Amino acid sequence: MASSASLDFAAVYRLADAEPSMPEDTTLQATATLDRFLAGVERRAFRIAQMAVRDRDEALDIVQGAMIRLARNYGGRPSSEWTPLFYRILYNGIRDWQRHSSVRRRIFGIPSRDAGDIDGQRDDPLERVADGAPDPSRQVMASEAIEHLEAALAQLPARQQEAFALRCLEGLDVAGTAVAMGCSEGSVKTHYFRALHALRERLGEVW
Amino acid sequence: MSHGDRTEIERRARELFDDSVERLDGETRSRLNRARQAALAEVEQARRSRWPAWLPVAAAASVAMLAVVLWRLPGGSPDPSARGDDVAPAPEVVELLGTDADLVSEDPEFYAWLSARGLPQANGSG
Repeated sequence: MASSASLDFAAVYRLADAEPSMPEDTTLQATATLDRFLAGVERRAFRIAQMAVRDRDEALDIVQGAMIRLARNYGGRPSSEWTPLFYRILYNGIRDWQRHSSVRRRIFGIPSRDAGDIDGQRDDPLERVADGAPDPSRQVMASEAIEHLEAALAQLPARQQEAFALRCLEGLDVAGTAVAMGCSEGSVKTHYFRALHALRERLGEVW
Repeated sequence: MSHGDRTEIERRARELFDDSVERLDGETRSRLNRARQAALAEVEQARRSRWPAWLPVAAAASVAMLAVVLWRLPGGSPDPSARGDDVAPAPEVVELLGTDADLVSEDPEFYAWLSARGLPQANGSG
């Protein structure tokens, strides 16, 4: 992200852990700016959350929670800082959900979802083809390929998943990814390198 | 990360991810839109009804101060010395009750001897 290159990410990092602040002079214009930002990021954030929790409704709840927290706590910050802050909040929500889900599984003995089982049911790739799609066969292949990617990602350690999703899929730079993950840039590079290596081994044959 | 630096797997993953974002169904897009509007509305509502940030702190301080004042007021909380835990009863009370404690203090040796012998049996044999 070219626009984030000049940010003081250390300051943003501190802000993400600091007490929330909300300026009193928030205006309608600021709300409109926030609306545009969220509209631009919500679909990608939803897909990242869905890949992590493998449940559409839960992913929607997590994204909405992240939107509320960003707007409430950091809406007054410069908009250039929002992207890494938003993804940091989003991944906090994902980790909370995963912790609670893990506890529920232990207590109630609910089996974890299969890697290729999205939203609790294995669906037919043909059903995901949008109406009026120009090339249905190409879309089926794309659906299968992304399922392979999601299944391979699900087998990685959580931090490697985060690094790959933020760096490769969302396109954050190393500094922005470090803010979003709450770790050093060196750790981001390590997690990302390991994720790439593992994915290359797992997907090399099917891609 | 520039596009030129990407490995094949990174390029392919990004392409598939972008494609999956574009192919999100209408219902999901609608729910995301509603979620965003709900988030903005909630924040706006919270901003309008927000109490001053110092109010909870001031309220807590007031309660603490009130508690201290009540504690210090005469008759508010009993003086520890008046609870009688470690203070001898007033002489007139001892006189009225004729407590054993008073007898022991009068003849401690007799009661030590009696204690060593044990209490007399109810049938008078001891």
